[in-house]
Amino acid sequence: MLKKIYKDFKNGLWKENPIIVLVIGMCPTLAVTNTVENGLAMGIATSFVLISSEIVISLFKKLIPNNVRIPSFILIIATFVTFTDYFLKAFFPDIAASLSLFIPLIVVNCLILGRQEAFASKNPTSRAIADALGMGIGFTWVLVLLSAVRELFGMGSIFGIGILGSWYEPMVIMVLPAGAFLSLGILVGIMNMIKRRGN
Amino acid sequence: MDTKISKLVVTLSVIGIISAIALSFVYQWTTPFIEKHQLEARKQAVRSVLPEAEEFQEKIINGITFFEGFDSSQKRIGVAMIAKGPGYQNIIEVMIGVNLEKDYIFGIDVLSHEETPGLGARITGQQYRKNYQNKPFGDYNVVKRTPQNDLEVEAISGATISSRSVAKIVQDAVKKINEAYGGGV
Repeated sequence: MLKKIYKDFKNGLWKENPIIVLVIGMCPTLAVTNTVENGLAMGIATSFVLISSEIVISLFKKLIPNNVRIPSFILIIATFVTFTDYFLKAFFPDIAASLSLFIPLIVVNCLILGRQEAFASKNPTSRAIADALGMGIGFTWVLVLLSAVRELFGMGSIFGIGILGSWYEPMVIMVLPAGAFLSLGILVGIMNMIKRRGN
Repeated sequence: MDTKISKLVVTLSVIGIISAIALSFVYQWTTPFIEKHQLEARKQAVRSVLPEAEEFQEKIINGITFFEGFDSSQKRIGVAMIAKGPGYQNIIEVMIGVNLEKDYIFGIDVLSHEETPGLGARITGQQYRKNYQNKPFGDYNVVKRTPQNDLEVEAISGATISSRSVAKIVQDAVKKINEAYGGGV
């Protein structure tokens, strides 16, 4: 059992990483990874919603009739997202302002609904927690890596602290939407190369 | 698939009610903090455009909220307002503070915008905002060189549209302030 839980946890980190392997949850991945702070905050917010809703849904899965499972999942997810939205606005107003619209949009992040449908509604709570943690951390680390690359090349800084000196001419395109597509594509390519070499 | 329709209705209603109750508690808990931050942010913005003011009062004229700034001897030294207008990508929100006696702008502060990072986003920077410090009222001309008279505004290179948008917003705001407080441009 413990081995199974560990396998579920590890699954999301690399083998079935939501961004680079499953390629789900692309909206926040592309939209908010222009600075490391935004990427990290989005990763944590999404992970929180994912973990809480997987726990609740795996606990009550037997009580939810099959025909209304999707609306039920959405209601539960939306509750946690609204909580996150209020919480960030109250205690981290700067982060809330820079993520603005993308916090409410976590409701429709297919990573979250996808995991409920594929995992939480079919497995015991302990395994659902492991899966949510793995997927959440897997989502977060790729967001942080992607936003670090974009912030470094786009603004010459990391976490808002200048890394590259004034000699560096920032490539503005990296913090624009086009830069997200470019860096995500290259990242997925590199990951696939590493993976192939491993096999 | 032969679950009774009543069971479906009951399930969804129960989830909805529980969510609503839980969220109303969260709302009650967080609202005071959120309101405090909003008030703080607005005060900060008023202070940045009416630097000498000690106290502020809100006043609604013609459906627009104005912030009147008073100095320590209760004398009104200026009026600020929040103006909105279209930018290059989305609405730009600007706070403007003016001196009504001598008809000039104290300064401006960009509250929110979605201009291109690194280009149009420089409207928030000191260099562009300096254009409006102690500027007389009037119709502004956005130019791509060093301003040669009081009514010229220097554009940000590569972001002429954003520069023009802000100039237009400021110009319209000054007109609205004049309408509310009397006096011509």
